[in-house]
Amino acid sequence: MGAKEGKVEIPLAQLIYGDVVYWLCVIAAIICTIGPVIVTAFPDNNVLNPHYTFSAIFKGETPTKVWKATGQGFPGPHFYLEYPSAGDAITMFGIALGCSSALWALIAAAIGGYLREKPRNYIYAAFCFWVAFIIFYAAAIR
Amino acid sequence: MVEREARLERVDPWSLVKFDRKKMRKSPWMELWLMLGIIVISYIALALISLGLETPPGGMSARVISALLCGFFLLSTAIAILAVIVGIGGGVIFTPIMLAFTDVNSLIVRATGLVVAMFSGLISTGPFMRRGLGNMKICVTGVSSYGLGALLGASGAIWVAEHLGKTGEGIIRIILGIIVGLVIIYFLKGGKKIEYPVVTKTDRFTEFLKLSQPYYEESLGRVIDYKLTRFAFTMLALAGVGVLSGFFGMGGGWVATPAQNLIAGVPLKVAAANSGIILGMGDCIGVWPYIKAGAMIPLFAAPWLVGQVVGGLIGAYILIKVRALVVRYILTGILIATCFGLITKGLYMLGYIPKVPPIASLVVFGVSLAIFGYKLWKEVKLEGGE
Repeated sequence: MGAKEGKVEIPLAQLIYGDVVYWLCVIAAIICTIGPVIVTAFPDNNVLNPHYTFSAIFKGETPTKVWKATGQGFPGPHFYLEYPSAGDAITMFGIALGCSSALWALIAAAIGGYLREKPRNYIYAAFCFWVAFIIFYAAAIR
Repeated sequence: MVEREARLERVDPWSLVKFDRKKMRKSPWMELWLMLGIIVISYIALALISLGLETPPGGMSARVISALLCGFFLLSTAIAILAVIVGIGGGVIFTPIMLAFTDVNSLIVRATGLVVAMFSGLISTGPFMRRGLGNMKICVTGVSSYGLGALLGASGAIWVAEHLGKTGEGIIRIILGIIVGLVIIYFLKGGKKIEYPVVTKTDRFTEFLKLSQPYYEESLGRVIDYKLTRFAFTMLALAGVGVLSGFFGMGGGWVATPAQNLIAGVPLKVAAANSGIILGMGDCIGVWPYIKAGAMIPLFAAPWLVGQVVGGLIGAYILIKVRALVVRYILTGILIATCFGLITKGLYMLGYIPKVPPIASLVVFGVSLAIFGYKLWKEVKLEGGE
């Protein structure tokens, strides 16, 4: 199962992983392009005030101080869920989507690739789920 | 150089000169044009919006913000293209330079540096996987240990920043300066590499994993199959690379490639392709402790992310025709100046030396460029003579 490149058959799981990661990255980049425009256009509709963000960063302030100096403090890594219409929340969603792209791609590769192969490749499906779990653990639990 | 050679294999550069219209409507051109269109429209909109906005007291004007965003995007694109030409990850260029020459907090730099490192890896994942040059089995097995290292490294970085304060910032700069010194040596010496390692004896663990996957080698016009060995040690080495990447936020492709090539016997091109994929996949783990500590400032990180994606696509597919050796020497000069800047800034932060003016780094850069220029001139003269 898979596509042929030259005289070699490329495993389906590999193609699925590559394509899912690639397109999620492109989507994340598009969101991160539009996000800063919304941030600048509506400066009051942000978690961080853009007028003070860069000066705080270039002064060498710690992340905690940057969030406090320009807003109400750090609202948590997934603050886009709380403020879905805020410009910087939309930008953060784009970053989070890109930074979790491997998670979705690994799940897709395991289910759509390794577990559909004949015979089923349980070892690599397990490796995919294990790495996906570590990403999930790092992003959501820890 | 290694990664560049692998990427050079991807597309025939002459096909780009013809500008085949049918090709332009297909991937990756379709998304590249789409992204470039959105970027141009967005930055024009940003410029127009910023003209009509008032600046609050003590705040930065919207025009300056727009200029910074545009500048960061262009710089990131340039770094991504440069990284493809010289065959290293963007994080190796971004993180040390930002830490040496700006006052930006090291956690913010390292969080953004990881974004730079991982997105240059993530965007190259698709083409490498489709071409069969990347090996998903090696990558996912490698990341199962690399990821844990990255998580440990990133968590360690947060701990150091929280507990050691300014001293920690100084120590990190000095250690990073030493690592940049190692990168420079690796750059100049090239390091030991074996294009097609011959594995005569394999071990039971590696055999059990059935990692090898044949690939079509265009330059030879035949399929290359390979045996692997000592993968448990490779996983251990990759865990170390993960710690390095997570702690310093600079990626570690330059170590991941020789680790696979010399320990496990992965063919050089496959190892180079895999290292980008491993970096992209593994840093999806290492970046989250930084995000959770609030070190990822969306407005600051976004243009760097976009630049890596666009620059990665341009660099990998368009392949700018420049003499890689010249770019390599210029980059080495920049890295020498950065190494000097990092160590002097670190020593200053620890209170050992007075503040070194930025002009000193510029002098170091100038001297190294002069030395490399002389070396290049001698090489060109030698080629002419022969």
